[in-house]
Amino acid sequence: MKERTVVSNGTVKTLCRMCNTRCSIDVVVQDGIMTDILPGRGNPVNDGRICPRGKTALEHFYHRERIRRPLKRMSDGSFIAIDREQALDEIAACMADLKAGYGARSVGVWKGEGVGFLQQEGYVRRFIHGFGSPNYFSNDSSCFNGRYLGNRLVTGFWNPYPHFAAARLILLLGSNPPVCHPPFMKEFADARSKGARLVVIDPRLNPIGCWADIFAQPRPGTDGALAWGLIHLLIKSGRYDRDFVDRFTVGFEKIAAYAERFTPAVVEAESGIYADVVRTIADMLIECLPKVSIYMGTGLEHHENGVNNIRAITILSCLCGALDIDCGLYWPEKMPLADLSPRREQLLSGPRPIGADRFPVLYDFTGEGHTMTAMDYMLGLGEYPLKGLLITAANPVVTHPDTLKVERALQNLDLLVVNDFFLTRTARLAHYILPAETFLERSEIHCNIKYHRVYLTRKVAEIPGIHNEYRLWHDLAHRLGFGEESFPWETEDDVNQYLLAPSELSLEDLEAHPEGIVYQPVRFRKHETTPLPTPSGKVEFASRYLKALGFPEIPEYIQPLHIREHSEEYPFLLTTGARMTLFYHSRHQNIAKFRLIHTRAEVEIHPDDAAGLGIADGETVCLTSRLGSIEVAARIVHRAELRRGVVEVYHGWEDHPANILTFGDVNDPISGFPLLKAVPVRIEKKSFQLDFRPEASGREDDLI
Amino acid sequence: MKVVYVDVNRCLGCMSCQRVCIFHQARKCNGQTPNIWVSVDMDRRKIFTSTCLQCRSAACLKACPVGALSRDPETQAVVVNERVCVGCGVCVIACPFGNINMEPRIRVAAKCDLCGGSPECVQVCMAQALHFGDLNELAEIKRRQVRDKSRTTFLIRAVEKKDVTSE
Repeated sequence: MKERTVVSNGTVKTLCRMCNTRCSIDVVVQDGIMTDILPGRGNPVNDGRICPRGKTALEHFYHRERIRRPLKRMSDGSFIAIDREQALDEIAACMADLKAGYGARSVGVWKGEGVGFLQQEGYVRRFIHGFGSPNYFSNDSSCFNGRYLGNRLVTGFWNPYPHFAAARLILLLGSNPPVCHPPFMKEFADARSKGARLVVIDPRLNPIGCWADIFAQPRPGTDGALAWGLIHLLIKSGRYDRDFVDRFTVGFEKIAAYAERFTPAVVEAESGIYADVVRTIADMLIECLPKVSIYMGTGLEHHENGVNNIRAITILSCLCGALDIDCGLYWPEKMPLADLSPRREQLLSGPRPIGADRFPVLYDFTGEGHTMTAMDYMLGLGEYPLKGLLITAANPVVTHPDTLKVERALQNLDLLVVNDFFLTRTARLAHYILPAETFLERSEIHCNIKYHRVYLTRKVAEIPGIHNEYRLWHDLAHRLGFGEESFPWETEDDVNQYLLAPSELSLEDLEAHPEGIVYQPVRFRKHETTPLPTPSGKVEFASRYLKALGFPEIPEYIQPLHIREHSEEYPFLLTTGARMTLFYHSRHQNIAKFRLIHTRAEVEIHPDDAAGLGIADGETVCLTSRLGSIEVAARIVHRAELRRGVVEVYHGWEDHPANILTFGDVNDPISGFPLLKAVPVRIEKKSFQLDFRPEASGREDDLI
Repeated sequence: MKVVYVDVNRCLGCMSCQRVCIFHQARKCNGQTPNIWVSVDMDRRKIFTSTCLQCRSAACLKACPVGALSRDPETQAVVVNERVCVGCGVCVIACPFGNINMEPRIRVAAKCDLCGGSPECVQVCMAQALHFGDLNELAEIKRRQVRDKSRTTFLIRAVEKKDVTSE
């Protein structure tokens, strides 16, 4: 089956999807083969440049390990290639059986990052709710939603992409934008060349920390203390935006009273950041407000009190008067598109998905289930059994906390279908594997809320036999009898047409403008005329909604578990999830070029900690948490690069799953997010591990 | 003539240029070392990126005893003829900047050849610190930076970089 391109020679302009930034690219085609990817021009998102990951997208498309035919697992564990029609028939029959035996809710879907969001998420939600099950899960259970909720609870919206270039002060917390959001770099550099200040708060020193005016290494999970300390100094100075606070906020007295205890000395004791540095940062804020951009990465959300820390920082932005201004918490307006996901009201009146009782806030705001709770349901420990799961382009065996439990849970399913590009660790557990399409094989509508731009991505090539995700859900839905109502459109182009109907734009307009069309001019300070989408219509420093659910109404700071109960058995703190330039979570490890750079899994360790343990650079060490252990090579970093006592492992390694160590049962009470950034572990030289091998039992003396 | 130049004030040390350069070299089966280097000094918190400046009066080119270095007639880049190069390393000694080096596997001189006129490092520099153009454009950029900064930062007391963590 040979790949075909839509044009045999020339350039096709589309958007990249090697990560979710979606830069404009020009795909060069020569004699029916895509030969190069060049940066697309005219799109402010990437402004004529791309990143090495996007530059290498063709190696993803043409990869020789790509799954090209549906696979079925046989009883001996091997996979055989089967016909697509047969695979879909069998999957549909199995789903129908499960529905008849255990009810529709015994089947769920899990949408991963690999195929994208927006439209792809719409298909999946539409499919499972059409089937009659509320159980939609996604990777958002452990990424993104923590910050989304933290911001939504305060301001009613979240736009993760402020216009940094307009800022006079940029404050980054737990984030490494050059690696995770490369287009931010241009804006940072623009802001800096106009004299803006940069403050970076992170337990790990990344090159951007070297480029900052102030870099501070806090103890993991103490960002809330810093936020309250800055709120305290800002209120004390009287330089916060009083007019804004009086007119557009609720609960100021409550936060003012609570902030009083967070003197710089208290912040120093909690976070390890010197009191005079806290004062300096506050002075900079006061000097530069309201032109401040405060940006938080995933570093903040994977803690037991993550959402409240994030809320406190959002409140700090509001006190600076940075609500709905270009560089601050800018409130985006949505493109008028037809609904693809079922309407929220319909969703909430129906049965609630797994985890909605434990984490009602997560469900209220996102309409999705909680994946960590779903593991219990798969293992038969829930209220009802979850027997079938359709996973599209997700790899939870690697990227979800508590790997061993995930494996057990997925193995316990009666039906596991994985739709993916490659034979991932998760796919290897599936009963059926379906080949997924890459972004180069589909045409979909994409909106960028920062620039208010709408785009139509172009199909550049196709591989006969691989169908797009729309066809997958369409064909399954038609087999299960709800196709006519849920998936009436024949092709993806028809869907795109339907989506655009409420707007004044046509597909032809979008095709003529691959660099995107501005659907509405960007406007600021809309809260002065329009109530914010919060229950009170104002910025909620104190949330009555949370109070009604039994949570404290203001985002109180709670000392992280690792400080409250320091463990002698597990003295180090493992942080996972620091990004690597060329990988995207668990993706792209099979691209040979990338392995020239990221050669092997490593645990980063401070030189003093390594010396204390007698560990040499490159030596294999054993990391153990209360849940399991992994063996991985040690990389002794520069002493400024990490805080002492903190070690770091990338979260996406297929062969060294750091998530064997992480906990799925220590959750933020609001978002349900797992603790991934401060997991107590111990580190041992590998030789101590030999006595665990059966052949070595009772012979320790010989071995040491 | 057009060269790859670095606006060092804009470089955040993401290493993308160095990485695509490695990919580019790997494609040519020339080994896996880059010809643009990002150096991050964690002690002094400094980032410095450099690549060949394609000097008008190139010391490497003049020093080469076997005539392995020449100017590409199209791009004006100083290029290495690997079949002529004897691997003596005199060019490395002659270069005042360290921007020509020995390829470690086959021990011939290696340097930036501007990718034949469309440098990939520039395509992937999302901070827009790397540019491909006349060096006087860099001079203009620098003048603009001084102009822009003089309106704002000169009024603000610069915050000194210092170690800001207890313990």
